[in-house]
Amino acid sequence: MLIPALIYGVIRGVILTLSAIGFNLTFGISGLPNFAYGALYILAGYIMWFFLTILGFPYSLSMVVSVLFNILLGGLIYRFCLLHVRGQIMSEVIVTFGVGLVILEVTRYITAINPRMYQLPTVMDISFLFLNVYFDLQRIIVLGIGIFLFLCLRYFTRHNKIGLAFRGIAQNELTSISLGINSDWIGALSMAFGSGLAAIAAVTIIPLGALEVNEGYEMLLNALLVCIIGGLGSNIGVVVAGLVVGMAQQLTDLFIGSEWIMVVGLGAIIVILLVKPSGLFGKQKELEERV
Amino acid sequence: MKKGLFISIFMLAVTYVGVLLTGNGAIAAEPIVIGIASSLGLGTGQQSMDAIKMVVEEINSRGGITVGSSKRPLKVETVDLRDAEPGVPVTEALLGMEKLIIGKKAYAILVGPYRSEALLASMDLIAKHKVLMLLSIAMTPEMENKIQKDYESYKYVFRLCINSKNFMEYMAGLYTYIGSEFKFKRVYVLNEDSGFSRAAVNPLIANYFEKPDSGWTVMGHRTFPIGATDYTTGLMDAQMKGAQALLMLTSMPQGINLVKQWKSMKISALMAGYTGLLTTEEAWKELGGGFGGAMDLIMEMGNGIGVKEIPRSLEFLDKYVKRYGPWPKGGAMPHGIAPAYESMYILQEAIEKAGTLDPDAVVKEIEKTDRMGAMGRIRFDKNHQVVYGVDPQKASVAVVIQWRDDGQRVIVFPESIAKGKIELPAGLKTGR
Repeated sequence: MLIPALIYGVIRGVILTLSAIGFNLTFGISGLPNFAYGALYILAGYIMWFFLTILGFPYSLSMVVSVLFNILLGGLIYRFCLLHVRGQIMSEVIVTFGVGLVILEVTRYITAINPRMYQLPTVMDISFLFLNVYFDLQRIIVLGIGIFLFLCLRYFTRHNKIGLAFRGIAQNELTSISLGINSDWIGALSMAFGSGLAAIAAVTIIPLGALEVNEGYEMLLNALLVCIIGGLGSNIGVVVAGLVVGMAQQLTDLFIGSEWIMVVGLGAIIVILLVKPSGLFGKQKELEERV
Repeated sequence: MKKGLFISIFMLAVTYVGVLLTGNGAIAAEPIVIGIASSLGLGTGQQSMDAIKMVVEEINSRGGITVGSSKRPLKVETVDLRDAEPGVPVTEALLGMEKLIIGKKAYAILVGPYRSEALLASMDLIAKHKVLMLLSIAMTPEMENKIQKDYESYKYVFRLCINSKNFMEYMAGLYTYIGSEFKFKRVYVLNEDSGFSRAAVNPLIANYFEKPDSGWTVMGHRTFPIGATDYTTGLMDAQMKGAQALLMLTSMPQGINLVKQWKSMKISALMAGYTGLLTTEEAWKELGGGFGGAMDLIMEMGNGIGVKEIPRSLEFLDKYVKRYGPWPKGGAMPHGIAPAYESMYILQEAIEKAGTLDPDAVVKEIEKTDRMGAMGRIRFDKNHQVVYGVDPQKASVAVVIQWRDDGQRVIVFPESIAKGKIELPAGLKTGR
């Protein structure tokens, strides 16, 4: 039972990492707080459901449409909401949180008009036997996509001009501008990419869960949890934090009880904030911490 | 003088005609206000309201309810108590009901609060105003205890849906049937950590599964937080411990994942319990299928399912679909809608038999109710709870359905109306 539980723990960890990767890109790497992240995640799920179930689009096309929709919406949120408060961090947090609330509650209102079970099907109903336990294909897909996105993001933020520009505007916006980087355009791109990553997470993870508005709030909490523990801005940190928390949650479920799962994550945040507030791999406040 | 006489006669004539017209009720018959108070934003509340409105339209099309020698039309007033929403205090729900009773002059309240604590609190309000209340959602047996302890105050309250005691009896009956059919002995319990689940599961384990004569051994019991989506640990544990049956109890949308993970992990244990999600005909398509073999409880016959043995169950479904279109696709829990529908007919019959709107007289007539309804035979016990059993000719019934791998929904319990036998999942053999 322990080995299959550990494998499920890794999968749970990758799910957490995948959930946080987009948030880390915008907030951690580009310095743009996107507290509408959870709302964008669940909205992508409902968009995919709409195209798949109501309009009858093929599965893969519905996924692509929802990702593109989110990318566009992320850019528009930057252009019409964030641009006006750029540079004022608290205002940016409040504005994006407000946008997220509006998206979630309007979605709740619309779905309540036609109460039904909203569900995204898995890609295929296939399971594979490994060590006497069956693992479904969807979880294996989540594992694959998580690893792929991590590698892509790592390359993007280290070797791609736009990715480097994302990091530049977070480090020092004025210097970036003086070097010819259009910070508004990069900011919009960062929001768009982050929202797109939220959509990719949604279309791969939601088939394993439920398409329900409250999941948006939970997703934001998970993303914050992983980024705070791993360190904002660090891709490695997000991966390590996701795996550590995922494994801890799985083992807690196994040996103690499911009701303690959330306590593990929240407890980890408290420990990290006391011991190393910048996170396991975070560098933002390392100097202040040393001082 | 002549002019004055003429005007006086004219005024007298107008007054006389006006008295005639109002006196015999031909135009100004005051409607009887039927209040619908519940969490109307939820599928169950909304459908219950729709079912009642359908009956009201039918009664009004025949001129209304006969009260003594006159006919009185019905008028529906609604209030969304929102008591099912987290964070809404009971006091707010009670304010809504009070508004309906005092402001809208509701003669009777139908459907009633969603949450048990709101129901219990509202009974005092009902007692104070002597307003009839026919419940069809909240399930606490405390309602009956209150009536038993103080009949005179609380006699205006009746319940047509099952209560949590009935729920446990059905689960116990189902597992007794499974145990005797397949000689199974080992059960694993998985439930969400909600008031409803705890109130149902803990007494069920203590009063049934752990009794020596039940024939069952509880191999494990895991409680999941509300909204959990990963049940893999519990399912693996059940598999490792050789469970032959899985009693699952969840009411949240995320609960579907328990069923889907059971299927994808190919757990060789019969899944039988309650999710409220797998019960409608459309559920297979809506939820993407893949849960063949899973069993679920429909709390009252008539909630999206009907059988020829209970003709009114089919009649209700037919009327509902004609009026509102297809049964909502999995949005409503299989609870309360058929009882809400019947509650309006029961109220009508009681008023007409009493010949008066005096609540005490109408209460006596409701107590004598004995009719074949959408749920089966409807009779109240001495504590104003409809009697539920396994034979629809003797009592109202709940049903357990099982899904086949081809997406067909089959009634498998109670045996009196079963349309098929329980099928075991692959890899699971009968016990010895």
